[in-house]
Amino acid sequence: MKTKQYKSLLEVKDLQTYFKTDAGIVKAVDGISFDLNEGETLGIVGESGCGKSVTNLSIMRLIQSPPGKIVGGEIFFEGLDILKLPENELRKIRGNEISMIFQDPMTSLNPFLKISTQMVETIRLHQKMSHKEALAKSIQMLQLVGIPVAEEKIYYYPHQFSGGMRQRVMIAMALSCEAKILIADEPTTALDVTIQAQILDLIVELTKKMNTAVILITHDLGVVAGMCDNVCVMYAGKIVEKAKTMELYKNPAHPYTEGLIKSVPRLDRAHKGRLFSIEGQPPNVIDLPDCCPFHPRCHKVMDVCQHHYPPTKDLGDQHEVACWLYVDEKEFPND
Amino acid sequence: MNLLNKQAEPQATNEFDQVIVGNSLSKDAWRRLKKNKMAVISVFIVIIYVLLAICAPILPIYPYDEIILDHQHLKPSLVKNAGQLLMEKRMADLYTQAWREGRFELSEEKDDMIWAWIDKGEVNKVWDYMYKEGNIRMAEGTFVFNTAEQRRIDTLNTKLKTDLQISVKKVWYTPEGGKRINISKLPLEEIVAIYADMVGTTSEIETEQYGREIEQQLLKTIMRQNPDLTTEEYNLLLDKELSGLSERKRDTLIRENIVAKITSQAKDIALFDLKEAAGNESVNFPLNKEITIKGALSASVKATKMHERRYYLGTDHQGRDLLSRIIYGGQVSIAIGFIGTITSVLIGTILGALAGYLGGKIDYFIMRVVDIMYGLPYMLLVIIAMAIFGRNIINLFFALAIISWLTISRMVRGQIMSLKNQEFIEAARSMGAPTRRIIFRHLIPNSLSVIIVFSTLRIPSFIMTESFLSFLGLGVQAPYASWGSLVGDAVAGMTLYPWKLFFPALAMTIFLFAMNFLGDGLRDAFDPQSKNQL
Amino acid sequence: MTKYIIRRLLGVIPTLLVIITISFFIVRVAPGGPFDGERALPEVVKRNIEAKYHINDPLLVQYGRYMFDVLRGDLGPSYRYKDHDVNFYIFESLPNSMVLGVIAISISVIFGILSGMLAAIHQNSWIDYLSMALAVVGISVPLFVIGPVLQYVFAMKLGWLPTSGWFSTGDGWKTVILPALTLAFADFATIARLTRSSMLETLRSDYIRTAKAKGMKSSSIIFKHAMKGTMLPIVSYLGPAFAGIITGSVVVEQVFRIPGLGKFFVQSSFNRDYTLIVGVVIVYSVILVIMNFLVDIVYSLLDPRITYT
Repeated sequence: MKTKQYKSLLEVKDLQTYFKTDAGIVKAVDGISFDLNEGETLGIVGESGCGKSVTNLSIMRLIQSPPGKIVGGEIFFEGLDILKLPENELRKIRGNEISMIFQDPMTSLNPFLKISTQMVETIRLHQKMSHKEALAKSIQMLQLVGIPVAEEKIYYYPHQFSGGMRQRVMIAMALSCEAKILIADEPTTALDVTIQAQILDLIVELTKKMNTAVILITHDLGVVAGMCDNVCVMYAGKIVEKAKTMELYKNPAHPYTEGLIKSVPRLDRAHKGRLFSIEGQPPNVIDLPDCCPFHPRCHKVMDVCQHHYPPTKDLGDQHEVACWLYVDEKEFPND
Repeated sequence: MNLLNKQAEPQATNEFDQVIVGNSLSKDAWRRLKKNKMAVISVFIVIIYVLLAICAPILPIYPYDEIILDHQHLKPSLVKNAGQLLMEKRMADLYTQAWREGRFELSEEKDDMIWAWIDKGEVNKVWDYMYKEGNIRMAEGTFVFNTAEQRRIDTLNTKLKTDLQISVKKVWYTPEGGKRINISKLPLEEIVAIYADMVGTTSEIETEQYGREIEQQLLKTIMRQNPDLTTEEYNLLLDKELSGLSERKRDTLIRENIVAKITSQAKDIALFDLKEAAGNESVNFPLNKEITIKGALSASVKATKMHERRYYLGTDHQGRDLLSRIIYGGQVSIAIGFIGTITSVLIGTILGALAGYLGGKIDYFIMRVVDIMYGLPYMLLVIIAMAIFGRNIINLFFALAIISWLTISRMVRGQIMSLKNQEFIEAARSMGAPTRRIIFRHLIPNSLSVIIVFSTLRIPSFIMTESFLSFLGLGVQAPYASWGSLVGDAVAGMTLYPWKLFFPALAMTIFLFAMNFLGDGLRDAFDPQSKNQL
Repeated sequence: MTKYIIRRLLGVIPTLLVIITISFFIVRVAPGGPFDGERALPEVVKRNIEAKYHINDPLLVQYGRYMFDVLRGDLGPSYRYKDHDVNFYIFESLPNSMVLGVIAISISVIFGILSGMLAAIHQNSWIDYLSMALAVVGISVPLFVIGPVLQYVFAMKLGWLPTSGWFSTGDGWKTVILPALTLAFADFATIARLTRSSMLETLRSDYIRTAKAKGMKSSSIIFKHAMKGTMLPIVSYLGPAFAGIITGSVVVEQVFRIPGLGKFFVQSSFNRDYTLIVGVVIVYSVILVIMNFLVDIVYSLLDPRITYT
């Protein structure tokens, strides 16, 4: 059934996800593409509302419809187009092959069911195990994510845990079926700063151990630097720059990426004056005209930026950027 | 022509040079409401109802309390007038009688059918059938009425032609050489004198006479309000009432009585005058005329042919026009719905806002009261209140208003509690705004959308409660009507007179539907997130 | 848990006290009552009442005695009937009302939840529209209209069911159907709407998304994960629902001529039989208070987040 001749584990091609609202059609994700290989960690960075989360919900086909709809593109998981799979095939992938951790651990666990129920259910859904075995495995997973007295705490309800502990439970649950891909959607945003690092370390440690590929969604470039192999920078529903992490930090090509990097406070460099910040607000993605959506905030804006969206240019070494700065002037559309 | 050159207002644009359309909450809500077809239709329905209720006195409908006993239980008809319906009824009756006597033969099958109907109590079907069948036979000439029957038909015919409905609009008194005066504007002594003169007695006798009559009237009212008491008790109550009666009230009562007497006299005279004219069709009706009663007394009267009335929705058991009763009943129901809601929302909002804003002991106290009242079967308490304090609209209204502020006060309290910690309230407070101002200028206006939505949904439930009580006979009392009392009156005779149940129920249901749809629409409009919530 | 129950029970007391107090003063101040001095009561009744209330004692003593009696379950003599006291009449009619009420609330809860869930699961389908249309009818049309209409259609026109009566009239259980349906309609409507919206909201919540991401079937998501969250608002609506059933039964018993407590209540309020009215109200209130209490307990059992301290 599965074709083994796929290039990468996950391949997203020209994905488009739109939302119909009263005010118009919101193009939350508008033609993005990226690849993910086994064991690799990919970071997706951008301001809130740029379509990071929608991208990943689209991969799992978890977009609420209506109002949302995946209107175009392909998503190949091990060569299978997820968007064309029937519901029952899809369910075998969800939680089993690709699993997810959500932003808010407070609301992502069912408050009415004990942790044991929720974990055992996940394991037995995808693996042939008795209840007892599944329970044992759940406890083992909880221990793995560092929950003390797991064999007792597994019978707790979610509200009896702290936020950090709940996120650990979520991670344990997500990894309990040894998924090939873990999508972590801002896993630390809702947590205390002191706990954030612990959770991130935990994710890195466990996924390395299990050889799980990770898609890490975040607005925090610092997090990306520490964890990811590759980075996609998203702006207004599009990927504006894609590169290996080190390359991106060293040579940010897109003015937006540049701005993002400059706006991260750094301790290893001498502090000169004010911290850099990108002026203005991210745009509302309803009825955007054909232009670079970043141009009103861009300090290197040119005439052409205001009328046409830039094509994607390969700068070599898997570094891609969508900006007119890197396009030969001869190629500019003339109107 | 400066106007034409007026420059377009500079429009706000965003960073992409797109025009930004301003968007206030109310504008936004209004736009969403307009999109909701059911809500828009409902708005129109509600407006029509309210207009009808307000304009009821000037609408060309019969008075809602005008009793014409001849017109009891006439069925609704768009084309036939009361006389024609009465004639139909009479003829159907005669045919049926003839059938019972064996002079009007039907096939055995049909006989069985009719007996089956009679057994089931569906007399209407029998009459309809016999009337149709009878008319066919009359036309064929296979059945004729006998003389007695023919006479009854003729009598009815004459009656239908000559019966008049006379309403006396004003009674005038013309003193010698003076201008005529409306007698209800004269001082009491003069009216008494005029009346005494009219009936040929003296003022003293009349005054005494009226003292007694008032007693009788009071007694009647007491008896109606308190059935099943002994004579002794009635006398006690009467004395109490009489001693409580002020001079002025007594005078008014006497005056009303005498004017009523004179008016009815005028009616009789006019009837006598016009009866003949109606018979030989020498006068056209309706007719407005001024007639002389006696001496210096005259009256303007309006005369119409009683049986030319049309009852589009039929009549009730006292021959009152159902259409008019539904409209006036709607007036009562809608008024109670609106005024009651406003009162309860006012009480609830003020108490809720106080509790929410001040917090502490006041909050605790108000909310405990609300909690305890919530635990009471309040409808039953209203029923008791009505039973004890008398069944009239004012009591009903108070009873309802007192119990229905609970929910709104809880809602407003919640809203205020969440608002009061927001920055703009902090700002107002830091600028030294007094509590009253903060509550009424900042907090309540910001909770307004919640209050509006709630009120709209409250109106139908208020109307339902009122009709519920009226249905039980504990609400609005005759001759007034409300939708509930109309339905309540109709339930007993539902098989024979289905229209009495059908039309008021329909009128009420449509209004309640419209109010509910409107309320839902408003809620969705103000709070789109709640789209799918209750 | 026990502590919690005791605390809730203690909360019930003020409500009951208020009811009994109101009742006492209603009987005292009501015009045309036995204390009014103007009303001539049958000698037997008068003696009964005097014996019961010790009219010459101070008011507070009387109040205390009344309270004590009511708490003991003695509702006093009737103003109107000399043969039996209020307790007798209440116990005679209460079972009928209970049967009607229990059947009605069961119908409304079962069908309300079913149609609400169907509507939510098949949002914007004909099932959704149909059940919501039915719910709007239930909310907009008063039950004293629904009752006669059902009577007219099913009893008079179609002849399937009896118009009125209650068990004894030979039709047996058939007599229950129409009144129970009438009484159930309003609450059915509210529960259906409540279930639908609650279900939709639950289905939109984050933890349902998690369940979906785990690869669960929609049916097991609905029954295992969404059910409890959906039921909570419905359970808390049950309190008002019971109150609605009680008030509704007053009308329904009137329309269908059922010899229940509600019919008694209306009759006695016309007769100004104050002790009987007050007795009925106390009984109703106690039922209501007990129901509210049970609803609270069930709610706290359903929602693990509620602590019993």
